[in-house]
Amino acid sequence: MSALTAQSSPRGPKPKRLTPARVGLYGFVAMSCLFFLAPLYVMIITSLKPMEEVRLGYIFKWPDSPTIQPWIDAWSSACTGLACEGIHSGFYNSIKITIPSVMVSIFAGALFGYCLSFWKMKGSNFLFGLLLLGAFLPYQLFIYPLVRIYAWAGAYGTMFNIITVHTIFGLPVMTLLFRNYFSSVPIELFKAARVDGAGFWRIFLSVMLPLATPVVIVAVILQVTGIWNDFLFGTVFAGQNNWPMTVLLNNIVNTTQGERHYNIDMAATILTAAVPLTVYFVSGRWFVRGIAAGAVKG
Amino acid sequence: MANKRRRNLAPVLAIAPFWVLILVAYLGTMLFTILMSFTNSKTLPKLEFVGLKQYQRLFTTDLWITASQNIWAFSILLILISLTVGFLLAVALDQKIRAEDTIRTIILYPYAMSFIVTGLIWQWLLNPQLGLQKAMHDLGWESFSFTWTQDPSMAIYSIIIGGVWQGSGLVMAIMLAGLRSIDQEIWKAAKIDGIPDWRVYISIVIPMMRPTIVTAVVLMSLGAVKAYDIVVALTGGGPGSSSFTPALFIMNFFFTRQNVGLGAAACTVVLVVVSVFFVPWFYYEYFREEKRGH
Amino acid sequence: MKKLLGALLGGAALFAVSGSAMAGEKCDVIHWWTSGGEAAAVAEFAKAFNAAGGEWIDTAIAGGGGDNARAVGIPRIMAGDPPCAMQFNYGKQFDELVSNGFLRNLDDAAKAGGWEAATPPITWGQIQRDGHVMAVPVNIHGSNWSWWSKAALEKAGATMPTNWDEVWVALDKLKAAGITPVAASGQAWQLDMMFQFMVLSIAGNDTFKAVYGDHSEEAVKSDAFKQAIAAFLKVKNYIDAGSANRNWNDASAMVINGTAGVQFMGDWAKGEFVSAGKTEGTDYYCKTTFSDKKGYIFGGDIFVFPVSKNADTTKAQDLLMNTMFSKETQVAFNLKKGSAPVRQDVDTSKVDPCGQEALKLIANPATQVAGADATNTPDAVNAMRDVLASQWTDPNATVDTFVEKFVPALMTDM
Repeated sequence: MSALTAQSSPRGPKPKRLTPARVGLYGFVAMSCLFFLAPLYVMIITSLKPMEEVRLGYIFKWPDSPTIQPWIDAWSSACTGLACEGIHSGFYNSIKITIPSVMVSIFAGALFGYCLSFWKMKGSNFLFGLLLLGAFLPYQLFIYPLVRIYAWAGAYGTMFNIITVHTIFGLPVMTLLFRNYFSSVPIELFKAARVDGAGFWRIFLSVMLPLATPVVIVAVILQVTGIWNDFLFGTVFAGQNNWPMTVLLNNIVNTTQGERHYNIDMAATILTAAVPLTVYFVSGRWFVRGIAAGAVKG
Repeated sequence: MANKRRRNLAPVLAIAPFWVLILVAYLGTMLFTILMSFTNSKTLPKLEFVGLKQYQRLFTTDLWITASQNIWAFSILLILISLTVGFLLAVALDQKIRAEDTIRTIILYPYAMSFIVTGLIWQWLLNPQLGLQKAMHDLGWESFSFTWTQDPSMAIYSIIIGGVWQGSGLVMAIMLAGLRSIDQEIWKAAKIDGIPDWRVYISIVIPMMRPTIVTAVVLMSLGAVKAYDIVVALTGGGPGSSSFTPALFIMNFFFTRQNVGLGAAACTVVLVVVSVFFVPWFYYEYFREEKRGH
Repeated sequence: MKKLLGALLGGAALFAVSGSAMAGEKCDVIHWWTSGGEAAAVAEFAKAFNAAGGEWIDTAIAGGGGDNARAVGIPRIMAGDPPCAMQFNYGKQFDELVSNGFLRNLDDAAKAGGWEAATPPITWGQIQRDGHVMAVPVNIHGSNWSWWSKAALEKAGATMPTNWDEVWVALDKLKAAGITPVAASGQAWQLDMMFQFMVLSIAGNDTFKAVYGDHSEEAVKSDAFKQAIAAFLKVKNYIDAGSANRNWNDASAMVINGTAGVQFMGDWAKGEFVSAGKTEGTDYYCKTTFSDKKGYIFGGDIFVFPVSKNADTTKAQDLLMNTMFSKETQVAFNLKKGSAPVRQDVDTSKVDPCGQEALKLIANPATQVAGADATNTPDAVNAMRDVLASQWTDPNATVDTFVEKFVPALMTDM
């Protein structure tokens, strides 16, 4: 039951007064933060510099004449091909893809994990093994076979296509997460529900899924990040009318034979990452709690 | 009896789509790739069989030899360093320090960023004339030298820095969760016995966290074997082709060099090698437990 | 009105503009031109196409020199949901699309439009497969250019070289003055640009064609080719410590700022100088060769038109290919793109001095050279680039080790 009561507060030894060990501890944490923040710092100050300053190449130097023009350009006027409307137009599409894909992929992972943990059916562990093995293959490999299959089914380049593709590729980690969690739930709980006459779906929907809320939060964080940042599947499978924001970001920052505006690139990146970053800021505490509940049970 | 049968139908119906999905999308793709590795496919997949020709070329291609050597050093070091850094950070955060929420977010945020552009930042930071080395020289430390990205024998290690930056936040979160689901009584008992903290961590806590560590290793190795974006972003596989990885090799042969047959052969080799490690582990981890039952 | 036009051009990215409101035939075009001058050049195509009664739907996917665009476009063609038009480079990238019958045969349009008479033979050859026209060419990029910083040369007390001996003298002076002589990059394709420059300029057209066109082992082992290799390896002494994964535009910036002496890069680098407000002759020099061995290495962009079941799309394709090849569009597009028009019968008075030099070389059959990627598969081209990259980074590389590795790479397709 420890999974259900996992705490989010530190359980380590109580802090003492300012001892050398404590100073060393803060020193280590401070150095680490510096390491993790350095790229973000460079990104932010670069995004605030005019191009003349960027070209000088002093990447750590605070801008002499800070400007928010790159941010405005990145949002509303940077060219992404013929259209020079910045990245804002992809924002809605990213939302449109992310929300259903996150929901469907988590539901699928939870359901499969539930099947694996409580309904021991022949071959299902083999299936799970195959799934995890497949997770080691580079994604790009799947493009040709999947395109053929979706085209054959008449579903190529649709919302259905992109949602199911995200479900397929989210399945290994989602299943792992939920399977591990459900296997830590006492079997007695499951048996009691069955004695009460609850069926497969009742137990799943009204007992197990609510119980798994902390894991669902972890799953949401992982999937929002993964799906929001996806570029490859979005371009290949979503259909052009549904292209996500990352396609526009890619078009701003990548160019074969044209000039590059690094300040706008940086602003566009931070804007694109805003949604997953917000999710992290808001739910960081639950993230650890959820992992404590789910992922760490072998 | 009828009731029981009806109840058993629901799980079968529920799992059936997963059979279809996994057999078609995963097993289907694996078989398709293996099949393609025996063909002469160039731009498009086609069934023109050439036997083992692609494998012969693969194993005599310098680029592949470099890539397959690199991936060992890269994966093992990346996982070891991320585990160590992640664990130390988790322990640090577990000491009732100030501003834990903020610090945790700082460590986790790289996981939310795409390498499409953060890669550029890393290129700058690791570039001797722009980044760390220049900053140190400007500060007066003239002899400081950091040129890994420019050195064919060190470039692959420079990618690890980016990998640790991105991945150790997740490891930290997993480790922190692991630490906090350990019974606090252990600390009280250790205190009474006068055992120092570091010994408790090494002798008691770490062994108890085995499932946590396994989860972290599985997640990290999934990323390490597929390492692509980060390599493109940091070194582009260079200098020369010294920091190529198998995933970069496969992508390059699929879409840049338009030689699907050779790319598929490389992919099959990766699949076989991963299976050699994966299958025994998976069997040990899941089927053994199966026998124990609930 | 301007707003309306803007909405019309840009709307495709977000709103699938409702068909009923538009009279023209829709054409979605896959390309990888997305920023700055590239986007401005595409806009010329779209403007002309829309003015002619079509409706350009922009499908831009940048990155990897077209890799990302191909990763989207080729599966779409396979899936039976092809784009109306798709960009490729000169070369063999679309051979299999032709042999599988995915692409329209453009013989009629080419005949009616007089394509053969208007284009240089290399370009004309590049768009044909088995005697049929399968693509429309839109420009000619030259890859053998060098860009010199006037300020850097002056600071080092050097003059603009006119032959190879003077090149090395100038590089030595630059080095002595503490300036990075060559703004190089370790990226394999950039090394390839520099190497092909050396081959053309030192070994000459005939050797170049014998190696890359005829795959002659003898030519690889000739003294002329070996001299080019030696020059390539010698450049290693003139680079700086940060060159390994440098983007080509960052290398251009070094020449623009005068922190480096020269960059060997195709004519697209000129766009960087122009957008930095620099003028040829007063700020920088451009040069295609340093010997009497003159030549111009052709590369460029073309568009293919996949077979469509939809008659309206076929009509749109007809309109688009004729628009792209029309005299006015060719001039307008290429001025923005920095490349040369494929048509030799257009008004080139607005072209700058470097461009005029290019036009002379393009017009002369004796100086027309097909680039390595026009005559080799992407597989072979990149195998050769592997050799360039590994020999570039290997401190023990010699002309002989280079030749030994280069021969099998050149024979990849054989």
